[in-house]
Amino acid sequence: MQDAWTSDLSEPSNTHVSPFDAAFPGTLPHLNSRCVELGVRTAIALNSQVHNRSAFDRKHYFYSDLPSGYQITQHYAPFATGGTLQLQNAGKRVRIHQVQLEQDTGKSTFDSRRHISSIDLNRAGTGLMEIVSEPDMRSPEEAGEYVRTLQALLRSVGSSDGNMEQGSMRCDVNVSVHRPNEPFGTRCEIKNINSVKFMMTAIASEAFRHIELRNRGLPVPQETRGFDEEKAETYALRSKEDAPDYRYMPDPNLPPLLIDQAYVSRIREQMPELPNETRTRLMKMGLSARDADVLMAVDTGREVGYDGELGQGAVAYFDQVAQERDAKAVVNWITHELLGQLALRHEVFKDNVFSVTQMGDLVDLVQTKRITGTSGKTILRHILTHRSNEMPSALAAKLQLLVSTDTDGSALEEWCTQAIEAMPRESEAVRKGNMNVLNKLLGHVMRCSRGRADAQAARTALQRLLAQ
Amino acid sequence: MLEGFRSPFDATVVELLQRAGARIIGKANCDEFGMGSLNLHSAHGAVVNPHQPPSSSRPWEEREQRSAGGSSGGSAAAVAASMAHVALGTDTGGSVRLPASYCGVVGFKPSYGILSRWGIVSYADSLDCVGLLGRDTTYVGQAFDVLSQYDHKDPSAATPDTRQKAVDALNTHAKDWNFASSLQGLRIGVPQEYFPSELDRKILKPFRSVVDILTSLGASVIPVNMPSTPYALSAYYVIASAEASSNLARYDGIQYGLRVEPPPGSDLTKTSKIYAHTRSQGFGSEVRKRILLGTYALTADAFDNYFLQAQRLRQLVRQDFDNVFRMANPLKDLPPVSQPDAHPGVDVLLHPSAIRTAPHLPSPADEADSSQTDSLPSYVQDVLTVPASLAGVPAISVPAGLAEDGWPVGVSVVSQWGCDKLVLDVAKAIEQHIPPSSS
Repeated sequence: MQDAWTSDLSEPSNTHVSPFDAAFPGTLPHLNSRCVELGVRTAIALNSQVHNRSAFDRKHYFYSDLPSGYQITQHYAPFATGGTLQLQNAGKRVRIHQVQLEQDTGKSTFDSRRHISSIDLNRAGTGLMEIVSEPDMRSPEEAGEYVRTLQALLRSVGSSDGNMEQGSMRCDVNVSVHRPNEPFGTRCEIKNINSVKFMMTAIASEAFRHIELRNRGLPVPQETRGFDEEKAETYALRSKEDAPDYRYMPDPNLPPLLIDQAYVSRIREQMPELPNETRTRLMKMGLSARDADVLMAVDTGREVGYDGELGQGAVAYFDQVAQERDAKAVVNWITHELLGQLALRHEVFKDNVFSVTQMGDLVDLVQTKRITGTSGKTILRHILTHRSNEMPSALAAKLQLLVSTDTDGSALEEWCTQAIEAMPRESEAVRKGNMNVLNKLLGHVMRCSRGRADAQAARTALQRLLAQ
Repeated sequence: MLEGFRSPFDATVVELLQRAGARIIGKANCDEFGMGSLNLHSAHGAVVNPHQPPSSSRPWEEREQRSAGGSSGGSAAAVAASMAHVALGTDTGGSVRLPASYCGVVGFKPSYGILSRWGIVSYADSLDCVGLLGRDTTYVGQAFDVLSQYDHKDPSAATPDTRQKAVDALNTHAKDWNFASSLQGLRIGVPQEYFPSELDRKILKPFRSVVDILTSLGASVIPVNMPSTPYALSAYYVIASAEASSNLARYDGIQYGLRVEPPPGSDLTKTSKIYAHTRSQGFGSEVRKRILLGTYALTADAFDNYFLQAQRLRQLVRQDFDNVFRMANPLKDLPPVSQPDAHPGVDVLLHPSAIRTAPHLPSPADEADSSQTDSLPSYVQDVLTVPASLAGVPAISVPAGLAEDGWPVGVSVVSQWGCDKLVLDVAKAIEQHIPPSSS
């Protein structure tokens, strides 16, 4: 269907809007089947139960970024309920209450100086997924880990790039405090938090606010609150009495969403690998936990494409290079050298021009000792700088970086002799026993040899020649 | 509210008509947002019924001014005045059939989901149908054939599979019928509940003559009971108003249409308070009334007692239709439970389209006291048309001649979901044996 429009963040405001998004009379909604698929993928990843039949409802409220005056959501019958998310560090499972599909609203920006609200309808009408957890987190840290784990999971299944600062993922947090062995205290909801850091700060500050109220013998009123990032504290938006009546009503246009078991099974079979599974698999290949985490954290979020298309992330890159190669060596070249160089150049992994075949060739050259590690780094830099598609082995020959087939050591002997002749003062100092100066001579040898000389062998040769 | 608004796209039904070579000659007057039974609630003024008793020889200005009915009164009038062969209307609770009855033309509300709603200004999505008005059943049938197509832009459109299933079921059921020679084999039910005390006795004579014609053509006419009918009107107004309150929330003065700037010093603390200026001024009194009713029906306190209760009644009304028809409802997966002691069922229902002939348009003196025209009788008028809307089944109003007062009377033919061809065929049979009534 042609009307499954999802806008890109780079587009100018209000340039990607269909008459339906602006709630023109005569328009009707259309369920984007891609959203259903990504929702089901997420539900499977969370071990939720996907329901055969779910339905859409309208949630009514007047706000200028909601052109139709209602949001289509799944209030009475969400498409998935139950499920869990395992938190690695906290060592606990957070239970999932439900997952529902809904419509995104437009975005309003308030210019307080000119007293003007600007509305961007680009994202209005885009599919949105709401994941509701049970009250299973006990600290800001656990909540932070929950969101980060969820981000990684959503990215791995392609349902969201999880970028909170860009608004692809937002969270509302409920906070309550209670003494041990007492029931939960009154909760307050903090709305629209847009980073994990802010969320943790908001929870901590909100918890302290509740504790202070209780210490003063005051009740905690049930409220919806906002978070002031500059003051690092929450503020009241509306009390329970002011809570709007959303006048939920079944949407009379969209028929019930019917998801049969065969559809769920098909998606289950095509599920991408989940973060936990990837981590376990990488560690089985011999990677350290740290290496696995670094690899999995590369460019997170940037590898989720349009409509959940999964991109070629660093893990996929590693998997391809590591085929029939030493995984440990490969991961070192990727995480230490390639990522380091990209970072220096302010480039992201997605922009990486160093192909899988080039990396494979480079690792082979170094592993078989045809070039030294230093030469390998030179080649890597050369290819990144010139955005070259030449093979490292060809470049190594061209730049005379191949380790000479110096079987009898005559070349090494020659470079060492040259060094001694070129640096008479330093040679004299070494002869007198100042071994620190030997490194200067060694440096000369390495330069002459363009890095091809074996440093240890050169040191021994230099010492032998100077002792004569 | 939408004065001067021009939609950036055409409705699917308009596109289909144009593609088939039809010429669109203009837009017709109607009640604001389709809300009204007399076409009085219009910024353009009331539509005058163009029908005149054949005996009348008085000049136009001196003639009796009667209502064309609503909400699609302008469409019915355009056809009755021979300006158009066919006109489009929308029928949410009778807005095509009632004006057709008042104006002496054919008005057809197809099964819900058969004609695309893309491009129709929504009043109550679960009830809204595109309807057709025409000089006779042939024109209406031709236009229906052009428009009866699946449109993926309408999420409530019947799928091609379901359409085929309904066509196959009807063909199998009708295989021994030959309406060209007689109506032998056709079972027609007359529902007892469609003759309320408010029904004008003048209607009965033309109705009885239709029954006689059908009987003489070989059809069996059987009295039937549809016990949930009395609840239909209240269920209809709760559901239609609730959906209207939701659908009309979009007219807020932000994206398009009328915008009334809040006067200086207004309370601007809430978005709704800014919208209120536009909405209070832009909507007419009937629309405002239904929005308020519908909003109330959806509030947390009223939802169970009003909206959910109305949905349950709607189920009962639907069930009435499924019980009375011989053919199964193709939208239901299971075949109907056969009741051994019950009658075998009927193929179509026949009843008066309206409780009276076209009422007089209010004189300027009446209009000063507007409560007169808004009082219950105008709602009661809908009592005969809303059950088919609630059930989503096809219904057609066909002229049945003139009442003693010289004004047209319509009879309605209603059938099971998907039997659109059958109601058109029975209407044609009636039409062929009724002397032409128009002036």
